[in-house]
Amino acid sequence: MTFKADEGWEEPILTMLWRWAVTVFVVAILIALSAFPFHIGDFGEIRPSFMIMAVYYWAVMCPPMLSPLAAFLSGAAFDLLTGLPFGLNAMTLVAVQWTTRAQRKFLLGQPFLVMWVGLGLVSVGAELLQWGAVSLFNWAVMPLESNLMSALLTTAIFPLAVLPLSIFNKPLADRNSPL
Amino acid sequence: MTPAVLILLAVTLMVVHRTDAVPVEKLRVMMADAAAPVMAAISQPFETLADSFSGIKTMRQLKAENIRLKAENERLQQWYDAALKYQAQNKSLQDLLNLKADPALSFVTTRVVSDPGGSFVKSVLLPVGSGDNVAKGNAVMSGRGLIGRVTEVGNRSSRVLLITDLNSRIPVIVQNTRTHAILAGKNTDTLRLERLPIDSSLTVGQRIVTSGDGGQLPPDIPIGTITEVGPGGIIVQPLADMNALTYVQVINALMDRALVTGEITPEAPQKHIKR
Repeated sequence: MTFKADEGWEEPILTMLWRWAVTVFVVAILIALSAFPFHIGDFGEIRPSFMIMAVYYWAVMCPPMLSPLAAFLSGAAFDLLTGLPFGLNAMTLVAVQWTTRAQRKFLLGQPFLVMWVGLGLVSVGAELLQWGAVSLFNWAVMPLESNLMSALLTTAIFPLAVLPLSIFNKPLADRNSPL
Repeated sequence: MTPAVLILLAVTLMVVHRTDAVPVEKLRVMMADAAAPVMAAISQPFETLADSFSGIKTMRQLKAENIRLKAENERLQQWYDAALKYQAQNKSLQDLLNLKADPALSFVTTRVVSDPGGSFVKSVLLPVGSGDNVAKGNAVMSGRGLIGRVTEVGNRSSRVLLITDLNSRIPVIVQNTRTHAILAGKNTDTLRLERLPIDSSLTVGQRIVTSGDGGQLPPDIPIGTITEVGPGGIIVQPLADMNALTYVQVINALMDRALVTGEITPEAPQKHIKR
């Protein structure tokens, strides 16, 4: 028995269920990591976005791992948990995934450094998108500095996040994805 | 669903949230009720780990800290003696005037289980809710001063809007002049004093405390000190470190108002620690 997704790829039902379970597990950990009060030194409100790292990485290396709908739901759950405007991270994560998947073919053939720079550009873009949306939501110009610093921190620690993220997509990596 | 449709849906959700926040608040309360106990349980090891790292200090640092603490202890001892003297004097004056004192406040001490949320929103999640007598509007304090008030309450969780949030407005007074004002958050580490009387004269270093106007927050809870008076406005630095909130106290002032009006039996102040 196989499952045929909208995007055109097929897989056995059991594989699909396993993938969904892994995705839900990993996303729950990432949301918890993003929402925990770590109190890291004097960083204050500057926090890396683990969700952007995961969405970007999987959009390039293993698109079946997180569908656009899953990215949307993960973002919505994060918004509800943190008290942010409902839909803010849902919009951002779908936009990150959409943009990244459009560049997937180019990024796959490049050395890791190019992928790293790509993540930097995507995370700065995501922070600017959020800043614009929240400024409109509150009808007031929001401070931007700490968000740009957060984008830099996200970029800086991306190489450390690649290893744990790659563990989860290895069982799916052998399959030929037409994406 | 295509990404374009999902983005449109997300934008629609934000517009709906902006126009009518009640359904979103209900969803948030449900989500917080489900997540807060789990986050409280799994944040404990992370906290222990962070404590262990911050506890690693060199002998030189320990010596310097020891000297500083000894000096501080001596200074605080002098303040303690003064406080005892003023307490006795205050009591005798109250007896003389037959003054009815404010009732003692009851509170719940608990741990913060979520991050303040970056620079877009300043709120934290607590693993205590209506089951612990926490109610909407309750004041929340850290060890040093007011940090916010409860805005959403579930059965097992509550959300606190921090005083630094853009949407926070607290009625306050300048402690030594009793000048009334509104303390507004601006999504940064500092606050702005607004709606001051035209003839008010303020100086750097004056303390700001809650006024108790409106009856939501108890009066005289310390909040911060004025750090800047100028054309850019009057800036207040909160006493509490808003980026390192670990344990907080939810002050149940609403319950105490009921106590004053005789709706419940007066008893000793309730102290309840929830980890």
